[in-house]
Amino acid sequence: MRYETVIGLEVHVELATQSKIFCACHAKYGAGPNEHVCPACCGMPGMLPVTNKRVVDFGMKAGMMLNCTINRTTTFDKKSYYYPDLPCAYQTTQWFAPVAVNGLVEIETSKGKKNVRIKQIHMEEDAGKLVHDISENTSCVDFNRTSVPLIEIVSQPDLSSAEEVEAYLERLKSLLRYAKVAECAMEHGTMRCDVNLSVRPEGSDKLGVRTEMKNMNSIDAIKRAISYEVARHIDAIENGTEVLVQETRRWDDLKGKSYAMRNKETAGDYRYFPDPNVMPVVIDDAWYDSIKASLPEFPEVKRARYIETLGLSEYDATQLTKSIAVCECFEDAYAVCGNAKDAANWLLSEVMSVLGTKKMTPDSLNINGKSLGELIKLVAEGKVSRANGKKILTAMFDDTDLNPAEYAKANDLVVSNDTGLMEKVAKEVLAGEEKAVADFKAGKEKALAAILGKCMKQLKGNCNPQVLREFLISEIGKM
Amino acid sequence: MDKETLRKLELLNQLSLTDAQKADVLGFFANREEELNILNAMNTENTERMVHVMPIMTVVREDVAAQPFSRDDLQKGAPETNQGYWCVPRVVE
Amino acid sequence: MKLYTAKSDTVTAKRIVADDMILTKDMPTAAGSKMLDGYMSLLEAEAVTRLTAAGYGICGKADVGEFAIDLVGETSYYGAPTKDGKLTNASVEIVKSSEAMAAIGLDVNGSIRRAAAQGGLVSVKPTYGTVSRYGTIPVACSGETVCVTAKNTDDCREVLDVIVGHDDKDGTSLSETECAKLKKAMPAKSIKKVAMISEMCENVDAETKAKIDAVRAKLAAKGIEVTVVSEPMLSSARVAWNILMSAELCNNVSRYDGVKYGYRTENYTCIDDLYTNTRTEAFGELLKTVILYGSDALSTDNYMKVYDKGLRVRRLICECFAKLFGQYDAVLLPACSKAAYTEDMVAADKYIAFSENVFTAPASITGLPTVTAGGVQLIGPAFSENALFEAAKLYE
Repeated sequence: MRYETVIGLEVHVELATQSKIFCACHAKYGAGPNEHVCPACCGMPGMLPVTNKRVVDFGMKAGMMLNCTINRTTTFDKKSYYYPDLPCAYQTTQWFAPVAVNGLVEIETSKGKKNVRIKQIHMEEDAGKLVHDISENTSCVDFNRTSVPLIEIVSQPDLSSAEEVEAYLERLKSLLRYAKVAECAMEHGTMRCDVNLSVRPEGSDKLGVRTEMKNMNSIDAIKRAISYEVARHIDAIENGTEVLVQETRRWDDLKGKSYAMRNKETAGDYRYFPDPNVMPVVIDDAWYDSIKASLPEFPEVKRARYIETLGLSEYDATQLTKSIAVCECFEDAYAVCGNAKDAANWLLSEVMSVLGTKKMTPDSLNINGKSLGELIKLVAEGKVSRANGKKILTAMFDDTDLNPAEYAKANDLVVSNDTGLMEKVAKEVLAGEEKAVADFKAGKEKALAAILGKCMKQLKGNCNPQVLREFLISEIGKM
Repeated sequence: MDKETLRKLELLNQLSLTDAQKADVLGFFANREEELNILNAMNTENTERMVHVMPIMTVVREDVAAQPFSRDDLQKGAPETNQGYWCVPRVVE
Repeated sequence: MKLYTAKSDTVTAKRIVADDMILTKDMPTAAGSKMLDGYMSLLEAEAVTRLTAAGYGICGKADVGEFAIDLVGETSYYGAPTKDGKLTNASVEIVKSSEAMAAIGLDVNGSIRRAAAQGGLVSVKPTYGTVSRYGTIPVACSGETVCVTAKNTDDCREVLDVIVGHDDKDGTSLSETECAKLKKAMPAKSIKKVAMISEMCENVDAETKAKIDAVRAKLAAKGIEVTVVSEPMLSSARVAWNILMSAELCNNVSRYDGVKYGYRTENYTCIDDLYTNTRTEAFGELLKTVILYGSDALSTDNYMKVYDKGLRVRRLICECFAKLFGQYDAVLLPACSKAAYTEDMVAADKYIAFSENVFTAPASITGLPTVTAGGVQLIGPAFSENALFEAAKLYE
């Protein structure tokens, strides 16, 4: 029998705000344990929640990016359960009137385009973190992350494969990063995903038993977890190896298996009720319109503009628009150097190559696009060789304020107009390269490249390669 | 309200009652259930729920971070801490 | 019995006692619970800050019943305050002894009003949202209010004026413009017609009845018309309030778990033991019952028919008052059924506070201002405090 998989996702995204959702503590990660904590977010009595406006801005913005309807009156509710990472034993979330509902996200896979429906987006506070490797018999609690704002994006069960899940997550990440509401880095825990999955015979309209999987830390882990879980479900259905039950399971990526979580952690009644301390947020037309006006150019629109207006190839446009950080760098560089094709080439070859050596993702690109434009101009005008241009580019990653022209001058990376020096070096090299000269004369074009390289090395790259090449050929002709 | 439901409520709220207390609590619940009839007799079909008694809306603050409380002060009255963390018995994962 | 923790260095003549639901930085705040015995807060209540800035001195902390939900303070971990064989209240005793000119406290379930009524003091529960709840121990946030108790209406009003005002740190705090409505003097003799709720005046003891009659007579003598009105709906406010208060309490006290501060059991090996034993050992019986009741009201099975119903009835009660205020300027009702409570009464009915609050729940659930004086409550529309004070002055 053939089976089909039905998957719905709950994606948690940490919002990129300065402060927490209901108190003024820093929302950034990276501080020492419990350094971003106040009486409110460590569960002490007396402080009252006051909603961070930017959280609502970002919640709305995310909703608009995912084509949702914005609830013009949105409210907060309390959800109760005991766990050491939850200092008040309740989480403030949105249960009755989430900020955004009924959205649609288009994804593209090898099978073509598909729409994934979004059930809702709600705003809520994150929980703290438990650390288990400090002492043997205790777990250590860090409340830095407690009350950091999150949105949870709940999809309808419209996904049917790991490939679609990957495309969907990449799409969410791209849209939310374009809107600058979130970092969406699974490696930092700023994007997390629970997978609701069931399996049924192909063509059946009855859903199978659904399990929820947690604790996947990368898209690859999610793909592994999905394929494991699908196989487990099919095995259970076909061979009766186990009875499937609706439950929450924890993915263990090292062992490559999922495990049912303890009943106590997941069962129970959350007892949602409206938070009496948090007033309803009413989004008036002015507020709504200001957020609408602040939406970025969508990736497809940008891509089309790059092709139609800037004359880039479809491939280049697609590659550039994958990441908003790359797009912004490209646009800044283009504004300065005036050559879109050149700027795209630099971004997609040289910049990507430096990112690769530095083990950075395109999203974390942080060089100054305007400086990159200056650099591209220097190289195009023949003032700096392309090889030295790369050296300057690498330095730009470490110093975002770096001025390429000044740096080139200070580090002896400027193309010299001193033809006397070039001719002297060329003659010396040729004198010691009898074999290569002979090879070139015999028709081996490659031999010239070796000679050229040696000259360049001695000239520290500061020479116009075309001029050097012509001089070498004429000198060899005289030999 | 029966004993089984009460046991679940105790678990959910991290409480453990003696038998005598359980009997008291069941009595309390029985009285409240009876009183609920008073509310049920009131027609609320066209009445909106009222969470907040004052009709103020959209109380928000600007996104500005501040960190006025020190960890040492926050942990002064803590039952158990270690290296800046609050500690609990190991939570098995 | 721990009536009062005094601060030795309070030199100002304007001494205020804060009850133990009000957080202070230089004195412990225990909310009458073993859970918070000796708890030192890092923050102080906005009301305390405002009083201190205005030259008043917080001279000490008065004990309360555990999380202030009982009759007058009898469920305190530190023992029930009694005087001459009767239950009393720490704040009331301190004000009566002139140790402090006034008390501030958090009215959660009417204990402050009952204690003031029985102790012959004046107490004001201002309009919800006019006094910041920042720095108070949260219990039933949708209705609880910081109150002032003193020997007379003038002292009450003086202290209230200091603590009323908008506070950015409390999301339910009304704007400065709204708060100013309260402070603004009302036209003299704003209260001309008073509705006396007949059902509320029936099942009270003779002494309480006598107090009501005395007030009625004094009002009438000054030309204020008192009409006996039947409004059974106000008696059901108690049922709805018990639901809302219990549910909110259950949620608010769930933070006390032996992890971050406060009491921790010695008897545990795992996290669930730590939680359960801490809470079981440190919470009193009434509190435990209320936690369970509140939890049940919020359960998936009961939410709509219990909690949600309570929220809708709250609106009906508000509408009922609005209708009354269309015809009358204020509503008169007792604050309690008895001139005094005894330990025997509580022993006979552990949950007596959940029936005795029939008198206080209408103002709790609606957030309406109430002046308790002469042993009775006078409830008015929002921001009518000054008018209520003026009327109460006639019989305080």
